[in-house]
Order: sequence, then structure tokens, then C-alpha cells
Amino acid sequence: MSSNVERVKEEIEALEAIFMEDISISYNGQDLPETVKMTIFPSTANDIDKQYVCVTFEAMLPEMYPDIPPIVKLKNPRGLDDSILNSLYDAIKDKCFEFSSQPVIYELIELIRENLTECNLPTCQCAVCLYGFCDGDVFTKTQCFHYFHSFCLAKHLLTTEKHYSEEQDKLPAWQKSTKAFQAACPVCREAINCDVDDLKSAPPPKDLESAQNFSVTSELKMLQCKMQELFSYQKSRGGIIDIEEEENKLLLITNSSDDSSPDVDPGPSLEQVDENNPKSSIDRKFKSDFRKTSR
Amino acid sequence: MAALPRRIIKETQRLMQEPVPGISAIPDESNARYFHVIVTGPEDSPFEGGLFKLELFLPEDYPMSAPKVRFITKIYHPNIDRLGRICLDILKDKWSPALQIRTVLLSIQALLSAPNPDDPLANDVAELWKVNESEAIRNAKEWTRRYAMDT
Repeated sequence: MSSNVERVKEEIEALEAIFMEDISISYNGQDLPETVKMTIFPSTANDIDKQYVCVTFEAMLPEMYPDIPPIVKLKNPRGLDDSILNSLYDAIKDKCFEFSSQPVIYELIELIRENLTECNLPTCQCAVCLYGFCDGDVFTKTQCFHYFHSFCLAKHLLTTEKHYSEEQDKLPAWQKSTKAFQAACPVCREAINCDVDDLKSAPPPKDLESAQNFSVTSELKMLQCKMQELFSYQKSRGGIIDIEEEENKLLLITNSSDDSSPDVDPGPSLEQVDENNPKSSIDRKFKSDFRKTSR
Repeated sequence: MAALPRRIIKETQRLMQEPVPGISAIPDESNARYFHVIVTGPEDSPFEGGLFKLELFLPEDYPMSAPKVRFITKIYHPNIDRLGRICLDILKDKWSPALQIRTVLLSIQALLSAPNPDDPLANDVAELWKVNESEAIRNAKEWTRRYAMDT
């Protein structure tokens, strides 16, 4: 047992010496290391602008570690899709097996880093156009590690800024915001700062051009028929909103005070109370429609 | 008419191939930006068992602007008015192009599970929902049974 404790201590000391402040270790009540956590980036000679993917590695060390392998979790993956994550988990499992009963954390971190370096191109989709990133596409990584074709992000930024200033123009002077427009990431709404002029000169994404066209299939036609049937059925039961009728009702609220005529719908009002039904008159109107149609 | 943006085609295909449980959205025959939608009332809500028809329209600059969505089937809900208009932030100032037809419809379905009478669109419904919740829920159930069934 004590030899295990010694070995783990040595390993942790070595990890801290190598990764310094990049790695964080948490300890349990007995002052023994419990979890090792580190956000791993691809090796790009520390050029942060060229790091397009990252993942947070978390290893829980069981009491019997290293006789028993650590429990590894990969959290907050950025720019990595599920298939890459799954293959990373498989590689981690193989590495743990290869290093059974030996300290393995350093090996795992390097394994993940190698994999990230190999696939240092976002494999996710652009959340704006829903297409992937091809070789040659110009794309942008936000500070929050979300990816967009520069072309798509520019469109988003220009539109939200336009909407913002339109809304501001509508407000009276005293309600106008004193803050300038702040762009937000479409995915996580974190504030982002980008050079729109630079982005908008980017070409549209390549995948868009090769996408196939839309056609109405027989399956779609069948679904359209089903929807139509439901619509007709609900209409026959008075369940469909008649916009014109509803708008007229709203007009009548202010014009009519006559509640006695059965032909005129007096519109909704909170004060009106029926003896049998202490609800607003609009409910009575629906009830009479219902009686008519169910006859 | 201008060509349909690829994103709309992609969303339409995915809606057909991997439909969201309890939600169907199909494009109109003559206008691929207009969708016929059915949202089923969520379990354990007063709308359970109901099939609610909605219409959804993708404006010219979608996905930069939010889709326009409206209930067609009558519904008794504090955040949905008589005309079927819906009070939901992601359809207004909280719209983001990362949202899609499916996520919008899921949010609307979630709104059915969690009515918010403090941010009302239908004032009389919201008022009753606040002063007498059990009666409001009875009304919502009654409207669902009466207007939103299929057979």
C-alpha cells in the first residue's frame, strides 16, 4: 500500500514540475491526490491563434491507483465532434491497459495532445449555416472556442448590430442604452470582439455549393395530407383560431356595452359574469360554437 | 423567387429524417419557407393529449432573423394570445442563428409545460392563472379536450 502512495506522490510531483500552473491537483481528506485536471491544447509552438480544438482532461485516481487505472473524463470539448471524442476514449483505454499497474497520467496527457494536434481543425459544424469546415474555408474561432465560417459570422454580426440600432431608434431618448453594441457568440452568447470588415471579405463556405437541392417526396405529400385532415377536423370542432373574427372581437370591447343580444359577440371582459358559468363571455361564445358544431 | 438557402434545405431534410418526438414540421407544397407544424401537448401538463397546429414562416433573412410562429389551434395559455401569437424571448430579442426550427419548436413545447403568468400575452388568462391556478388549469384542459384532439 505505502509503496503505491509513494509512487503516486512521485508521479504528481513530476507532473507539477512538467506542466506547472497548467495542471491542477485536488486532494482528499487524507491529503492524498484525488483528481488531476488539465485543459489540453494541440501543440502549435504556443501559437494560440492556431489552436482550434481543446478539451479538459480529468482523471480520478482510485485508492488502489496505479494498480487500478484512473477514471478519465473529457470535458468541455471544443471543435471536436462525438466520433473524435469516442476514439479518444478508446485510445485512453488502450493506453491504460498497456501501462497497467504503472503511473500513466503523463502518458495520457501526451496521447490526448498528439491526437488534438493531428485533428487541429474543427470537425463540428458551423452553427450558422449548419455545414462543416472544408480545406480552404475561411473560419473564425471565437474567444469561447466556437467556430464559424468568417462569412457566416460576419452576417450574424452585421444583422444583430442593425437590429440593435433599429431597436434603439424606436426608444425615447431617456430609454436609450448608453452602452455601445456588444456582439455575442451565436452559440453561448458570450461577448465576442471581432473585426467585421475583415470577416465579411471572406468567401462563402465551400460545402454550401455542393449541397443537394430540395424536392417534395411522396412521404412528404402523405404527411401534408395528414396535417390537412387534422386541420379540417379541428376546424369542424371550432378549434381553429379565426384571426378576422378574433380581431373584430377586440374591436368590439371598446365599442359595445350590450351584452343581452345573443347574435352579437360582446367580446371578452373580466366584469361580465354568467349565472351558470362564472367565466368571461368569450368562453360562452366558444361553448355556443361547440354546441353548434357537435349537433 | 430566390433559391432556397442551403441551410433551410438541410433543416427540412433533418426534420424529415430525424423527427423530434412529439413534434412534426413539414414544408408547404407551394412555399418551402412556410411550415405546417404539429406540437403534441407535453405529458403532465394541462395540454397533454392535445395536438396543436402551428404555422411557422422563415423570413427572407433567416437564420439571421427569427422564424415567425403562431398557434393555429385554440389554446388556453397565459403566454399565447387569442390570435395564437406566442410570447417567447428566443422569437424576439434572444434569437440567435444557432437556433433552428427544431429548437424553436422544442422551446414552444417547453413553454406549454411551464406557463409564465408573470410575463403575460393573454391578460385575462394570466390573471386567472395567478389568482386561481386550479381553475385556469381546468380551463386549459377543457380547451385541449375540446379543440386540440384528432378524433
